[in-house]
Amino acid sequence: MEKETKLLMKRTTLTLLSFLVAACLLLIAPAAAQSTEPPVEIHFAFLTFNRVSEALESVESAIDEITVPRINVKVKLHPYSIADYAQQINLALQSGEALDVFHTLGDLPQSVSQNKVRDITDLVDEYAPDAKAVVGDFLKAAMINGRLYGIPTYKGAALAPNLVYRADIMAEIGIDPSTITSFHDLTAVYAKVKETHPEMVPLTPDSAGSLGLIRSLHGIDFLGDDPFRLNNVGALIGDSLTVVNFFESKEFIDTITLTRDWYNAGYILKDAATTTSNCLEQLTGGKAFSCIASYSGQEAYVQISAQTGRDIRMVRLGQPYLTTSAVNALTWSVASTSQHPEAALKFMNLIFSDRDVINLIIYGLEGRDYVKVDADHVRYPDGQDANTVPYTAQLSCGIVGNQFIQYAMDGTNMDDLKLWDYENKNSPRSPAFGFTFDNSGVTNEVSAVQNVINEYLPGLSTGSMDPEVELPNFIAKLKAAGMDKIIAAKQAQLDAWVSQQQ
Amino acid sequence: MNSRKRTRLKLKKSLPLLLMALPGLAYLVINNYIPMAGIIIAFKKMDYAKGVFGSDWVGFDNFKFLFSTPDAWIMTRNTLLYNLAFIVIGTICALAVALCMNEIKERFFAKYFQGAFLLPNLISMVVVSYIVFAFLNTDTGLLNRTVLPALGVSEINFYSQPQAWPLILLIVYLWKNTGYASVIYLAGIASIDPTLYEAARIDGAGKWDQIRFITLPQLKSIIIILTLLSVGRIMFSDFGLFYQVPMNSGPLYSTTQTIDTYVYRGLMQLGNIGMSSAAGLYQSIVGFVLVLTANYLVKKISPENAMF
Repeated sequence: MEKETKLLMKRTTLTLLSFLVAACLLLIAPAAAQSTEPPVEIHFAFLTFNRVSEALESVESAIDEITVPRINVKVKLHPYSIADYAQQINLALQSGEALDVFHTLGDLPQSVSQNKVRDITDLVDEYAPDAKAVVGDFLKAAMINGRLYGIPTYKGAALAPNLVYRADIMAEIGIDPSTITSFHDLTAVYAKVKETHPEMVPLTPDSAGSLGLIRSLHGIDFLGDDPFRLNNVGALIGDSLTVVNFFESKEFIDTITLTRDWYNAGYILKDAATTTSNCLEQLTGGKAFSCIASYSGQEAYVQISAQTGRDIRMVRLGQPYLTTSAVNALTWSVASTSQHPEAALKFMNLIFSDRDVINLIIYGLEGRDYVKVDADHVRYPDGQDANTVPYTAQLSCGIVGNQFIQYAMDGTNMDDLKLWDYENKNSPRSPAFGFTFDNSGVTNEVSAVQNVINEYLPGLSTGSMDPEVELPNFIAKLKAAGMDKIIAAKQAQLDAWVSQQQ
Repeated sequence: MNSRKRTRLKLKKSLPLLLMALPGLAYLVINNYIPMAGIIIAFKKMDYAKGVFGSDWVGFDNFKFLFSTPDAWIMTRNTLLYNLAFIVIGTICALAVALCMNEIKERFFAKYFQGAFLLPNLISMVVVSYIVFAFLNTDTGLLNRTVLPALGVSEINFYSQPQAWPLILLIVYLWKNTGYASVIYLAGIASIDPTLYEAARIDGAGKWDQIRFITLPQLKSIIIILTLLSVGRIMFSDFGLFYQVPMNSGPLYSTTQTIDTYVYRGLMQLGNIGMSSAAGLYQSIVGFVLVLTANYLVKKISPENAMF
């Protein structure tokens, strides 16, 4: 104990601030670290959208000040950029390099079938009880065949489709946005925009090949593992537990028919199927009136306005609907190759329940990397921004652990965060919420079907393909690629899951 | 005894050379031969906890997805035909450019054209794809906004017209690669003994005859070797050219889908490294067999030009 404290003291000289934090903790931390065993070092990987920091050590030791006395764990941080993340995780797992805690990226079922993540069913109650309590029934989304493989990130998972539009133009054409309740109301709006601003595209894609219309259909669970792209055949519609081919459903056909009408009327960017320029760029450039995208809460427009320099507002086109993949896309897991699963889980517990630990990971050191505005809000120190502070992972706020115990950037409306949490808990859930499809038995079909969907879906869902001509071809090619086998496999797994639930 | 002595002497003589080759050989072994053990992944169901060598064998299961799709024929045909066209037309163009450049005697222009032809080779395919997009797109493209209206032709949505793409991709390929290949031929031409040309001129041979009877025959072995090397890669396609340049546009798959793009698109979601290794192994083996066959044919026809 003596030695440990000395070690602590030595490291605390790094910054006065972390010393203070540590001192407080030494006072309040009871004799939690009774063991005289040396602390276990765990490796913690996460995705960052910020510049990958080089000042990791200072943050790590500040975290150690908290974690060593409490759980006798030291941490090494491994932030990876989006381009590297999946590869670095695979490499670390394959080479047996140290990796203990990481999160999935829309690939929980594959991670389970390829044995990348450890079954933590028997460990979670003992080592991560707080995290379990925080996420509530989201935990179901990380269970496969009754076993638990991780803890889903707790963030605003209930996404509602929104029309993101230029408020100045909307006022100019004299339409009251509160009269818009679904995308069917938009035909009249776009007609007016086209009439008064012929130089402007009324609707642009929110991402390449997707106008966001299909994602805004309510009550559809794609039973897939990739919530970012619609590349799944076989969906549940409404309360039914029968897997159907979504691309033959009335909902899909109605949507693409309407889209085609809009396309022909000139309401949609002509290159929508292939353009890589996203909605924000189009809004910034002033060439677009709106796009359709999904957000949690109702305040995202504040940030969009700031980013685009335009007067942007949002109106909901539907209500959130929670499916498994919306929740388990980011699931914190213990690496199957980890030598210290207990320590890994103890640390995971803290990223869901300890304000200080999570804020160190997200914002770095107070004073150096950020300053506090009030109890809940922070900003960068004067004259600094996200690119110049030594450490920040601010853009990972919705990735690491529990977003609701993190500080918020200055200007965030805390009431909106409450709405996120409320909708997480109260939004309607798919009848198959908690079911995860394991596609490892039908990989040949999945790869073939994937190619067919890439071929047709962007064209159909942006209106550049005529559904009358191309939809039958699409369906025929899907069938030839083995779609029915995938649907049958989904149905069989779903039936087994349903009977397990009872 | 005598022969052993001679061998030792030979070894002693070539020892410095062998030592010089050592770093290169070490590099080759470490970088190219040892990782070949990883081929084994193609036959396994990868289990990260068990590791590459401990995972379960699945035989040829990982290869099935390449052949079980109705698109198998399209992607194989596209890969082979494009590469054949690139080899034949690419070689002809590169030779033509090299011959022309060789005739430019003015130093400034010679350097200028060499640089100008080489430049596209240094541009990343992603950038190239946007240059092409600037020509072809419907809303602001040069062709659709300026050229076609001037000709009185109505706009064409190139990104949904598969029949236009074999030509577009060929042009892009030639624009990007001709310069590079021609430099190799130019170097070959430079090494031809000038007395041959002098003798030909004295005998009254014109430019065309000199090219036909001196330059081309002298370049034959370079042409054959470069062609053999390309044949080895015939099952692989330039991923950037076929994925980036058509902007990943679905309606174009019938003429732009190659084995590489199919594998990429199909496995993006699955993240199955066994299947992707299987695809790579399949392409390599077919390429290897083709190189051996082509080399065998060359050996039959003109033995001194064969690679081995």
